[in-house]
Formats: sequence, C-alpha cells, structure tokens
Amino acid sequence: MGGELKAILGTAATCVAQVLWALLLAPLVEGLVRKLTARIQSRQGPPIWQGYFDLLKLLGKEDLEAGEIPWLPRVAAFLSLGTLMFMACVLPLGAAPPLGTETDSILLVHLVTLAGLGALMAGFAAGGTYSLIGSSREVMLMVLLEPLLAVAVIAGAVHRSSLAVAEAVRGGVYAAQGFPWSGLILLVVILLAFPAYVQRVPFDIAEAETEIMEGWLMECSGPTLALFKYSAMLKLVLYSALFVNLFVPWGEAGGGVGAWLFFWIKTGAVIALVAAAAAAHARYRADQAVRWFGMMLAAALFALWLAGLGC
Amino acid sequence: MSPGQGVIASLLTCLVGAGLCGLVAPRRRLAGWVAFAATALSSGLALYAAGKALALGSVEPEMFLKVESMGFALTLHIDGLSAFFILLIASIALPAVFYSIDYMESYPEYGVGRYYPLLLIFIAALYGLVSTTDMMWFFFIFWQMMTVPGFLLIRFERQRAENRRAALKFLVMMEIACAATMAGAELLAGAPVSGAAAGGGAALKYDFATVSSRLPALLEQRSLLTAAAFALFLAGFGIKLGMWPFGRVWLPDAHPAAPSPMSAMLSGVMLKTGVYGVMRYFLWLVPLERRAIYPAWEWGAVMTILGTITLLTGTAQALKQEQTKRLLAFHSIGQLGYILFGVGMAMLLLGMDDPRLEPLAVAAFAGALLHTLHHATFKSLLFLNAGSVLWSTGTQDLNRLGGLARWMPWTAITALIASMSISGVPGLNGFISKWALYVAGVEGWPAASWLPVCAAIAILTSALTLASFVKFFGAGFLGRSSAYVERKARERGRLEVPWRMQVSQWLLAVVCVVAGLLPAVTFGLVQLALKAGHRGLGAVFGTMSPATPAFLAGVRTVGQGVVIAVLVVLGIAAGMALAWLLSCLGGAPRRRVEPWLCGYATHEDSMRVTAHGLYGHLKSGLSARGLARMMWSKAPTREWDKNAGPRHTASGGKESGS
Repeated sequence: MGGELKAILGTAATCVAQVLWALLLAPLVEGLVRKLTARIQSRQGPPIWQGYFDLLKLLGKEDLEAGEIPWLPRVAAFLSLGTLMFMACVLPLGAAPPLGTETDSILLVHLVTLAGLGALMAGFAAGGTYSLIGSSREVMLMVLLEPLLAVAVIAGAVHRSSLAVAEAVRGGVYAAQGFPWSGLILLVVILLAFPAYVQRVPFDIAEAETEIMEGWLMECSGPTLALFKYSAMLKLVLYSALFVNLFVPWGEAGGGVGAWLFFWIKTGAVIALVAAAAAAHARYRADQAVRWFGMMLAAALFALWLAGLGC
Repeated sequence: MSPGQGVIASLLTCLVGAGLCGLVAPRRRLAGWVAFAATALSSGLALYAAGKALALGSVEPEMFLKVESMGFALTLHIDGLSAFFILLIASIALPAVFYSIDYMESYPEYGVGRYYPLLLIFIAALYGLVSTTDMMWFFFIFWQMMTVPGFLLIRFERQRAENRRAALKFLVMMEIACAATMAGAELLAGAPVSGAAAGGGAALKYDFATVSSRLPALLEQRSLLTAAAFALFLAGFGIKLGMWPFGRVWLPDAHPAAPSPMSAMLSGVMLKTGVYGVMRYFLWLVPLERRAIYPAWEWGAVMTILGTITLLTGTAQALKQEQTKRLLAFHSIGQLGYILFGVGMAMLLLGMDDPRLEPLAVAAFAGALLHTLHHATFKSLLFLNAGSVLWSTGTQDLNRLGGLARWMPWTAITALIASMSISGVPGLNGFISKWALYVAGVEGWPAASWLPVCAAIAILTSALTLASFVKFFGAGFLGRSSAYVERKARERGRLEVPWRMQVSQWLLAVVCVVAGLLPAVTFGLVQLALKAGHRGLGAVFGTMSPATPAFLAGVRTVGQGVVIAVLVVLGIAAGMALAWLLSCLGGAPRRRVEPWLCGYATHEDSMRVTAHGLYGHLKSGLSARGLARMMWSKAPTREWDKNAGPRHTASGGKESGS
C-alpha cells in the first residue's frame, strides 16, 4: 500500500512539474514569436517578456460582462485553460507522459475538442453579434480540424496496434510495414493545416481582428480575457509539441536531459515555422478555409485507408 | 416469481392501468397520477424481472399460453439481452410518464383519454416485444400494440395537418417493417429442409428455438433463401431504427409531432426495439456450435457500412435543422447509426474467427449495447428539455428563442449536460460508449482495412454532433434573450417549468453523469447481461472479457485503450481550480455592460445571430450536390443567408400566442 501511495504521489508530482513548466514557458514563447514576427516585418517588436506583462495587466483589469449569464464565460475560460493543463499531463513532452497508462489517444483527441468548447461557450454566452459570428466560424473549423487530428492519431494506432499515447502518437504514423505512404501524406496534410490548430494566420478566421474584431473573444475582458489569452499561448506550445511527437520523433533515442532538450529544440523550430508562415501570409476567407480543410480531410481519410492496408 | 412471470405481470399492470386511465380520463390530473402509479408498479416489476434474470445468470424460456390448433404459444425468454432492454424500457418510461402529468396540462383543447391509456398500451407492447420468442404471431400482436397506439399518439394534436401526415407515414412504414420481418420469419420457418435438425413440432413452428435449430441445415442447403430472409430482417428492423435510407422517410416527422414525453419514448425506447431485433436475429439465431457456416463477416460488413452511412447522413441533416425536436429527431438517426455500426463491427470481427480479434468484437458489441442505454438517457432528456421549452415558450423554432438560460436555469443545466453527453464530451456517458466503438474500429483493422476509416467518419460525425448541439444549446439557451422570449416571460411571469417536470429531467441528467463517471459499473452490467444467455452466437460474448473494469478504476481493453473518467474529470477540475485561482490574483472588479456594437448602436432583436445564421459554409457543403458545387466552383459560399435574422416561419408542433 505504501509503495502504491508513493507511486501515486510520484505521478502527481510529475504532473504538477510538467504543467508548471508548460505554464511558465508559454508566455515566453509568445514573446519570442512576436519578436520574430516583428523582425520579419522589419519592425522592432515588443520585449520578449511582453507575454507575461500582458497577462499580469489583464488579470488586474475590470471584467466587463456583456452576457445575460455572466458566470458562464468565466467558467468557460477555466475549462479551456484547465483542459490544456490536463493535456500537459497526457502528452509526452520530451519524456514519457506522467499519465501515459491511465489515458489513451482517443481521449487526447477529445481533449483537443474540449479545449475548444470553452471558447464556443464563452462566445455564445456573451451573445454579441461579433462574438456569435466568431463562434460560428470556430465551430466550422473545429468540425473539420478535430477529425483531421484524429486521423493522424488513428493511423499511428493502426500501425502500432496500440492506443497508448506513447505508442500511437510517438511517430506511430511512420510505423508501417512497408514504405510509410500514409505517414507522409498525413505529415503534409497536418503541416498545411497546422496554423489553424493554434489559431494563427492564415487560419485565425474565428478571431480575425481586422474583420470581426477578435470574434468570440470580443466581449471578454480582464481576467477572463487573460485566461483565454493564456490558453492560446499554451495551445501554441502544446500542439506544437504534439506535432513533434506525431511527425518528428527522431533523435531522442538516449532519453535523459539530452533527449528532453532536443525535443524542445524541435518544438521551438515548429513554433518558429508557424510564426514565419503567419508573418508572411494573409488570412484566408472562412469559406476558403472550410473548402481547404475539407480537401485535407479527404486526403487524410485516403491515407488512413492506406494505413489499414499496411502502408 | 420467475422473470417471465414478472414481465407478464408488468405487462398486465400496464394494460389494467390503461383501462383505469380511460375511466378517469375526464379528470386530467387524476388520470396522470393513475398512469404514473401504473407505470411505477410495472417498471418495478420489470426491473425485478430483469434483475432476477441477470442474477440467475441463465433462464429457460417460459410458456404461458398455448393454442395448439392455431399453432402459436406465448413464450417469454428473459435472457441477458432481453433483461437489458427491459431495464432500459422501465427506466425511461418512468420519468417520461411522470413528466407527462404536468406537461399534458398544456393541451387544454385535447382530452387525455387519448393519451395515457395509449401510452400504457405502448409501454406494455415494448415489454412484450423484447421478450417474446414467437417470431410470427406474438411478434405481430406486440408490434401492432406498439404501432397503432404509437400512430394515435403521434397524431395526438390531430387538428394540425402535418401531424396527421406524420402519423400516417409512421403507420405505413411500421407496417412495411412488420411485413418484411414476418416474411423473413416465414422464409426461415416454412422452407422445407432435409436433415435431423427439423424438430420442435408444428405447433411451435415460429418459435425462436425451432427456427434456430433449423438454421444450420438451411444455411447449408438454401443459402440464397436464408440470405433473403436475413435481408428482410435487416430491412424490417432497419426501418424501425431509422437506418439509411429508410430513417429520414418517417422518423424526423414523427418525433416532433408527438407530445414531448412521447417523443422521448419514441426516440429513447421505441427505436431500440429495432436494435434489439437486429441483435437478436443476427447474433442469437445461429447456434454457437455451427458458427462457421454463418456468413457473419459479410453481414457485419453490410451493417458496418450502412451504420456509417446512417450516422453521417443523419447527423449532417441534423446540422441544418432549426426546429428543436426535428433537430433531435435527425440526431436519433445519427446516434442509432452508431449502434448499428457497433453491432456490425461485432459481427465482422467475430466472422474472422480469430481469437485475437474476439475481445474487440466484445468491445464493439458492449459499445453498441451501452450506446443503446446511453442514447436512451440523453436523448430522452433532450426531448424533455425541448418539451419544457415548448411548454413555456410555445415554440420549437430555435430562431425565435435565445437567452433561455437566464429564464429557466435548471432546465438549461440539464440541457447542457445532455448536449455535452451526446457530443461525446469526456466525463459524460456518451463518451464512454463511443470510446468503445472507436477502440473496436481502430484496432479492428486486421478484419477489414477500411474499418479505421469508418471509425474516423464516426469521430467526424461526433464533431458534427457537437456543432449541432452547440447550436441547439447556444441559440436556444445562450446568447441574448429574443424579444419573443422576453414577451413570453412578461406574459407568464416565469418560464421555468414546475418541479415535477424538473424531477424527470434531473433524474436523467444524474444518470448521464454517473454513467459517465463510473463506466466500470455500466460495463459490468453489460458483461452480466452477456453472460446471462447461452443460446446462439451472441453467447460467445459472455465467455470473454472485453475489458477489465474495476470500480472507480475505469475500464481497460485490448490495444491499451483505457478510460478512467474519474481521473480525467478530477484532472480537468484541478486545472480549472488553478485557473480560477489565477483569475482571482489581480482582484479585478466586475461590471455588467451591454455588448459592444462599435459604440454607436444599441442592441436590437434584429441584430441577434440566430440558429439560421450559423455555420453557413459548412451547411452548404453537407449535401452531395452542395459538396460538388463547393469543390468545382471557386465562387465563395455564403456565411449566412441574405434573409438571416429571426425568421417567423411556421414551426412543427404546438404553437400558441404567436
């Protein structure tokens, strides 16, 4: 019994450590991304600590509640950030995930959806015209993006015959018996859709500052806005890490500090790629994006069929 | 009292209750309470019978009435599968009838003499249908006892032409289904076959056991005829459960037309008799020891593909709906598609005859059974929620609703639970059964290379379901209160439904949460049900353990699939608590304001984004023609219609004060 308790406490401690690390890292990453974007666009840009400053400022600002059910956007913000924190315990972040044997890949896919659900509830509860247009768009994208990610995860689960996150998600897409056609197709597909998962240009259609004024976020302010901003920062880090796990699993064979460091270097590279793409592109229209993801989804389903055939 | 006697007693209680209700029908409330008392007693008896059958583990068929000259006998066999469905009927009928007591007050122009007695006969028929072993005469009797009262209940509001039409469609489709199923039984029972298996005597020609004993010889000698019979079964029960392409013919019209508690019974329970029929005929008819000659893989493949088409098309249609109950009805097609998908996968995996795939077959079948149970809880709850909204606002039109969470908060919370449950949010029961189906679909790839694609389509459909229920809940309960809702609130004083209606909603909501948090309990129930039965191919499920549930520890299955709902919920709750702490750090004050409209406009009803205005681009790509147009032409699709905004069009069902 003592050993069991020790194991549980050990797992809990690892979870807390992983969550705190992700929480501390995320605003810094945001700052670096803004710096990089500014440099690409020949601007000076804010200091790299700006992400922390923004959060601290917003946490102290007045919370203006526009909705008729004021507690709901607040709870939705907790849900969004809370789900992402839990995801940090499920994902391998340079080491085996602390809850690796208690969760599976199917849950992981649903956690991605649940993190998005918070945004929708906030948008709908606020009830403003712009926030509803933004929410509507968010749903349209989510409906296509969630299955896209699910296909990538499932393909790994098919190749490895296992649903464990550490098996299916850790480079499982390439584990075909023959040449990994399915894995390569999925790599291209997810790469082309990736900015949408982290709500960046060219797919930040649900927020679209210059068009619908932050969409679903519009009526959020103060601490609620801070939490949603924090969620967005955390999403960028975690989903980039998920991408690395799925498609760039190499070079971590030894384990230990070296592997951990290399994992985060790879994740940083993915984030830099996202930032560079965002800085150099204009936003797609909502209908273009829906058409685009529809085609991606068709390609992904074809790849999954190939995976079922063993290639 | 044996399980068979318990079911007979429960059935008779319903019938006696129906008579009593007919007598006291002029006094509306009294009739309601009498109906509730009868339902409570019959549900108690049915639960006792089901519980006893599950506890005994194996029950022989019991014969109650035999008419030798006419060749039929009333034989009830309460094995695990029947017990499971009896349990489901009993536990949904009770809240639905209790809810009716207050709900039926809103029909002053119609007498309840045409409601309670029929509803009780309907419930009695359901009990009979899932326990009789007679594939012809008593099947026919119970089927008609279900169909004719169902028809009359759907056209309860008979002054509206569309309700009469919907009821007629229901009647015609159900009679076709009945004929198809009975023709199938006649083919199997009547075809001459040589061999020792032909026994049982002429009196019990259509008894399940007789047909079952003749089936192996038939499969060997008359394979085409047997295939035709099974095709008829699939068509018959497929019509009932809303399978593509039959579902949309009758189902979306019938559900909204009936009074809401009856809609809950139709979707939550009646459709499940189709599921029961498919499970019973396809998996329990062929004897276990002769499974090798049964083309299980082929039939499984047909059902899996039909199930996938059903779940996708049903849900895609639902996404376009703007009437609450019609939207829910299309989702019934979609969710029943999941169940058919699960049954199909179970057969397909069994048909491989590979011991490594059999645990997955059990997972698929357990998923299908659990989804049957879970769909009954959350969909009945959703229909009761839609009923409450209709009761207090007099409309089913989502475009005219908005902000109801402010006016009816308790109904809103139960509607949120049910909406998240049907969308497969972890921690609620919908996720658990879908999870089992996904596990089987993904890991079952050695049985068919396209199976993971079907699983991915099921996940896509789950996302579409979420979108649809974000619309249902968001447009109905969230957002700004519409002028219509505010007017109703002024007129009525309060919109929240009385406590008796809320009790039923809460009961079902609590079941959704508890079954979602403790999947080990429901999986344990399914395993118990699968063990309590020893006849037919389906009995193979009882001999294997698909998952190793432990109380609170969740469920694990092959392929390292695992769901520990308590851990997930606690983990997310811990994260939420941390987020809450973070949000309190700054001590930020709060203030209520109006939504910002660029600083120079104030909010008006015409500015509300209604259900009609949501998901424009997605909706235009959801039909085959729309998809083709979207892909070939580069012209942008519209985000919403030109005449978006509150549309005051006719809506199905009751409409008052508009």
